[in-house]
Amino acid sequence: MRSNIILTIFGKEIKEVLRDKRMLYLVILLPFFLYPVLFTLIGKVGADQQDKLSSQKVTVLINPEGQGTPVFDLLKADTTLELKTAAFDRAAIDTAKNTIGVWVAPDYAQQIAASGSAKVTIYVDESKDVLSLRKEVIAARLQALNQQILGERLRQAQLSESLIQPLAVETENVATKEQLVGKVMGGFLPMIILMFIFVGCVYIAIDITAGEKERRTLQTLYSTTASKGEIIAGKFLAVASVGIVSAAMNILSLLVAMQIQVSLMSENANSLSFSVSPQGWLWLVVLVLLSTVFLGALCLAVVLLANSYKEAQSYVSPMMMLILIPAMLSQMPGMELNASTALIPMLNISLAMGAVVKGAIDPGLMAMVVGMALLYALVALWLASRSFGNESVITGEKVNFRQLLGK
Amino acid sequence: MTTLIEARRLTKDFGELRAADDVTFQVGAGEIVGLLGPNGAGKTTTLRMLAGLLQPTAGEAVISGHSMNKEQRQARRELGFLTGDMDLYRRLKPAELLTYFGKLYETPAIELDARVKNLMAAFGINDFADRLCEKLSTGQKQRVSIARTLVHDPKVVILDEPTTGLDIMASEFILRFIERIAREEKKAVVFSTHNLAEVERLCDRIVVIHRGKVAFNGIPAELLAQTGKTTLHDAFFHLVQ
Repeated sequence: MRSNIILTIFGKEIKEVLRDKRMLYLVILLPFFLYPVLFTLIGKVGADQQDKLSSQKVTVLINPEGQGTPVFDLLKADTTLELKTAAFDRAAIDTAKNTIGVWVAPDYAQQIAASGSAKVTIYVDESKDVLSLRKEVIAARLQALNQQILGERLRQAQLSESLIQPLAVETENVATKEQLVGKVMGGFLPMIILMFIFVGCVYIAIDITAGEKERRTLQTLYSTTASKGEIIAGKFLAVASVGIVSAAMNILSLLVAMQIQVSLMSENANSLSFSVSPQGWLWLVVLVLLSTVFLGALCLAVVLLANSYKEAQSYVSPMMMLILIPAMLSQMPGMELNASTALIPMLNISLAMGAVVKGAIDPGLMAMVVGMALLYALVALWLASRSFGNESVITGEKVNFRQLLGK
Repeated sequence: MTTLIEARRLTKDFGELRAADDVTFQVGAGEIVGLLGPNGAGKTTTLRMLAGLLQPTAGEAVISGHSMNKEQRQARRELGFLTGDMDLYRRLKPAELLTYFGKLYETPAIELDARVKNLMAAFGINDFADRLCEKLSTGQKQRVSIARTLVHDPKVVILDEPTTGLDIMASEFILRFIERIAREEKKAVVFSTHNLAEVERLCDRIVVIHRGKVAFNGIPAELLAQTGKTTLHDAFFHLVQ
């Protein structure tokens, strides 16, 4: 194979990509601005919504028997609640707007005095966010009152509070802050990286294969002195380069978005610290490169079967599923990188990337993943070469898998 | 006259279908040969085998003395191939497209630069040189396509229905181009067409393909004599019915 011919084809494909505004938006601009905008927007909208819900006035109906009890005083003290005394039933609360009902048992005072249990019922429509949130607040205040009464009763009986709490269970998290952030990031980061490598690869692959078939320019290319191997190599390099740029832009964008979040939440800045060791970065680069080789070659092999741009686009969703399903499986509880999962394409890459981000690198397993990923990448490249070598592809005719894998 | 194109018993099967069956003919330097036949006769299959796009089931295509099976690179270096429905790379400018193909044929840089300039001047491409190919009109695209076919100065030019879908002006441009490269530059030209007026105007010889086989190979006058008809139109119909 002649490197000058491969580089000529590669250069031409990249020149066309750089002139395709749609591709630039998809591969560079969209990923670069996606996370910062998304994170900031979601954070801001979420915080605003929370403030709005917390300050919104909610009516609380309390039955007349509840008046004069500590429950009444407790609710009255909350300025965000509009307390009204009235008899009500479940149906009334169901139909009333923005209203919570608190029913206090008529024998409240007697029960408390006799060290009994006084019933307090909260009626609430929990399908409404504002009411659900306020119910939590009311329930917490009632729980505090409960603890207060309990404490008084224990003191009167000259008993220690430890009597009702024989076990003082405590949990101490020994994970570092980096590990905790890594756990969260390790869950979704591989999925995002793989998805955007695929998106980067697939659209250029469609343009330079099915698009060329549709325009009949592939025949022109095949009638030149460039060999099939040189054509595949040049086009594959272009697809893989765009895939890598897409993945790099995503990782960069994600880091920028996280920095913005950290600076916006200065008091919690330390809790968001996230770092990958130099060794981890090395593994990540290797994994991203191998994923790109695999996905790039797979995209070329599959979309070349289509006869038109439109038909090739219909192959995108099924291929996306092939990538997303293993990536999502990698986030299932208990799913971890081991000798079995290291054999499954895409799942192994997702788990390995997750392990790197979490800082749990097992060199033996990582080597196994790299070996398997390399094998799958070679199989995908072989498939792509079968696609390109097929006469029907050259002449722009329809190709099926049987033809591809046949003679 | 040096023979530059040789179809030697070319046969092509697509599964059960024999699209081309023992097709044999030659084209010499400076000669224009028209390939005629009804739809599905095997013209395009034959031309694709000559251009090395399809591997013959049997037989051999030889371009300028180089077997397309055994010396593909040398054979393709002497070959320019164009079909009527071929488009251009949309986001390249004409000069970039010509340079791209010149590089694929490994034309030396200085020579390529001169050839691109000459072709752009000869085909009036300089007038729209700054526009991307996707912005060109059909006629302008056709000029760039022809220039692309000639950028590596091939000895042989194969054209598959080059005037299909073109208006009168664009078709005329193609026909003059075919005439010029054969008469002035002594290239061997084979082209397929359904237009018998084009054949009468240009072709030194015609090859009629019917049901995959060569039904006639000779000069137009011989076809008239053989069929006893007075027009090429009638003679052609007589042969393929």
